[in-house]
Amino acid sequence: MRKKSRKYFSGLLAALLCALCAAAALPMEARASDGSSYVYDGYTYDFYGNAKDSPAMFQLERTISAENMGGVALSSVDDVCTSEDGRIFMIDTTESRMNVFDGEGNQLYTTKLIRTVDGAIALDENGSQIMLNAPEGVFIHEKEQEIYIADTGNHRIVVLDLATYGLLRIINTPAELVGVTQFVPSKVAVDLADRIYVVVQSSYEGILELTRDGEFSGYYGVNTPRVSLTDYFWKSIASDEQKAQMAKVYAPAFNNITLDGEGFIMAVTYDLSASDMVFRLNSKGENVLRQEGNTPVIGDTWSLSSTDTGSQFVDIAVTDFGTYALLDRTKGRIFLYNFDGELLNAFGSRGNLKGEFKSPTSIAWLGDKLVISDDTLNYIYILTPTAFGKAVLEGNESYYFGDWDAALVSFRQALDLNANYEAAYSGIGKNYLMKEDYKTAMYYFKMGNNRVFYSKAYNGFRGEWLEGHFAIIMILFVILVAAVIGSEVRYHKQSKIKAKAAMKLLNSRKGRSEE
Amino acid sequence: MKEVVKEKLSYLGRSITHPFDAFYEIRFRGKGSVALAVIILLFFGILQCVSYQYTGFIINTNDLSSMNSISIFLTWVLGFVLFIVSNWSVTTLLNGKGNMMDILTVVSYSLVPMTATLIFQVFASNFIIAEEAMIVYVITGVGTVWSLFMLLAGLCVIHEYGFGKTLASILLTFVAAAIIMFLGILFFTLIEQMVMFVISVGQEIIRRL
Repeated sequence: MRKKSRKYFSGLLAALLCALCAAAALPMEARASDGSSYVYDGYTYDFYGNAKDSPAMFQLERTISAENMGGVALSSVDDVCTSEDGRIFMIDTTESRMNVFDGEGNQLYTTKLIRTVDGAIALDENGSQIMLNAPEGVFIHEKEQEIYIADTGNHRIVVLDLATYGLLRIINTPAELVGVTQFVPSKVAVDLADRIYVVVQSSYEGILELTRDGEFSGYYGVNTPRVSLTDYFWKSIASDEQKAQMAKVYAPAFNNITLDGEGFIMAVTYDLSASDMVFRLNSKGENVLRQEGNTPVIGDTWSLSSTDTGSQFVDIAVTDFGTYALLDRTKGRIFLYNFDGELLNAFGSRGNLKGEFKSPTSIAWLGDKLVISDDTLNYIYILTPTAFGKAVLEGNESYYFGDWDAALVSFRQALDLNANYEAAYSGIGKNYLMKEDYKTAMYYFKMGNNRVFYSKAYNGFRGEWLEGHFAIIMILFVILVAAVIGSEVRYHKQSKIKAKAAMKLLNSRKGRSEE
Repeated sequence: MKEVVKEKLSYLGRSITHPFDAFYEIRFRGKGSVALAVIILLFFGILQCVSYQYTGFIINTNDLSSMNSISIFLTWVLGFVLFIVSNWSVTTLLNGKGNMMDILTVVSYSLVPMTATLIFQVFASNFIIAEEAMIVYVITGVGTVWSLFMLLAGLCVIHEYGFGKTLASILLTFVAAAIIMFLGILFFTLIEQMVMFVISVGQEIIRRL
């Protein structure tokens, strides 16, 4: 008896141990044992504005820091940019350097002094060496294989060759520049027609647009300030002298720009007085950003206290399928939106732990990875998508390029990992909508709380229903019309009969009275 | 009996098309029905719950997972009861001739156009797309305006007020409603404190004995 119970006991113990091991193994997978991986806590907002927990779409893969610089000083990381062949270009404003790394963090090139394509030291028209001076921005123009560096301290843009890092040309202050904006390029972008767009911080006239040769062609982009009702009231009753003393409301400046897959300029502003925060500018400079999601494209939809300014976006990175990542400097968060403006995921935080940000400055896509720079910690973070992130990104990519079946598979995977995910329900719905399976699409749009697309699906469903039941509807309609006409005819007949009877009566009375 | 019901219903119908005449008859010739008025008010409360849940998905932004039909029903019905009571309290002071039952009848009868268009909204919104929502909203708006007009006309007639005085009395009604609500909250907090006091004294006695 006792032996038996001991056997039982040891069996139980073994089972318990196994269970414990299994339980212990789960969190071990979440955080890699070498500590190189950091798992962010992600969330999304649902239709009602509630934050919903979600797996993060990205995890930390590696960091690039002064250790990767091979002895060269690294004092701040202010802008990163990537090329299609996987190189990372980083701008160090304090050291006035451009550093180039590969995706593994190996340093490929570093320069402060610009050389010619042949490798000789380049000289400008005055015969002095061309040194970078506090540059703030870098942009890779894939079409012409050029690197554009906003050489802020020298008030010029330096254009280098993407392969040899040799000097191609220098764009100085354009002669025809009008307006009060000084030519102090901070961020630069070049579109598919080789037009150069230059952001000058604190310029209220918009983005400078230059031709390929560096000639000024105009200001671009409209950034309207938010007008408050009280200001309007006081302005309306103030005298001219008072008005002159009031602070003028200037258009907010754009703070960063990039180019999306279709050649549109996308810009962000963190000016608190701006009415929009994210821009997709058409050729007229108007904002045509799609905001069809359940929340507007503003990052966090509600703030904790009155001092909380909400999300302030310092940079934007766009994939060629329209999904973009916004970098919020106030809370160190990254917000991912798809082409339709649906919030896909938000994650990240500020702090001193591994994977957290201090003052994030710049974000770029490196394939499906994200590259983020931080100028206080002087780190470049390379984030790689989690299984969830991969599914979501692939789903959006397949949908964007019209591969409905692949998108369905990916969004289903995402739903398996997060059943509270409105964007995936809505993504599945969109694919069914495109396949004209309206009923299924309606079901998924309802799950995803997407009323705009539900309406589109219902429109199709209703059209099909009307078509399918056309005969019976027509028959009912004809019967109705016939009934109406019939009743009219009967009514007229009756009134005629009545009139006749009345006439008869009248006549007979007349006759009687005549008698 | 059947005749009576028929007559009451006919005056309900008449009050929608000819509010001044019908409310005059209701006020001075006893053609109104308090029972009918109560039924309409209760039906309106139920209809609000129905509309919260069954309005078509495209224009229904309510969070159905947190729906509380009792709370919706009471909010609407008690809201109107509050309006009736405070309107009566104000108009009694301002030489209004209508009594509580008259006000109840007017308020409930004038809900009928709104009820009708709300039923239409709940039904039609299930068969529309987003672009057609405007049509439904316009129709509901017409019903609401109609209801407001009936309410104004009815209050004019039963209190024997002019138009301006009716508007003023309605404004004062809202003030009175706010005061009643304040007193109610005050009353309940004080009662709660008193009850808590008695309970704690009782507990103290029980523990010491």
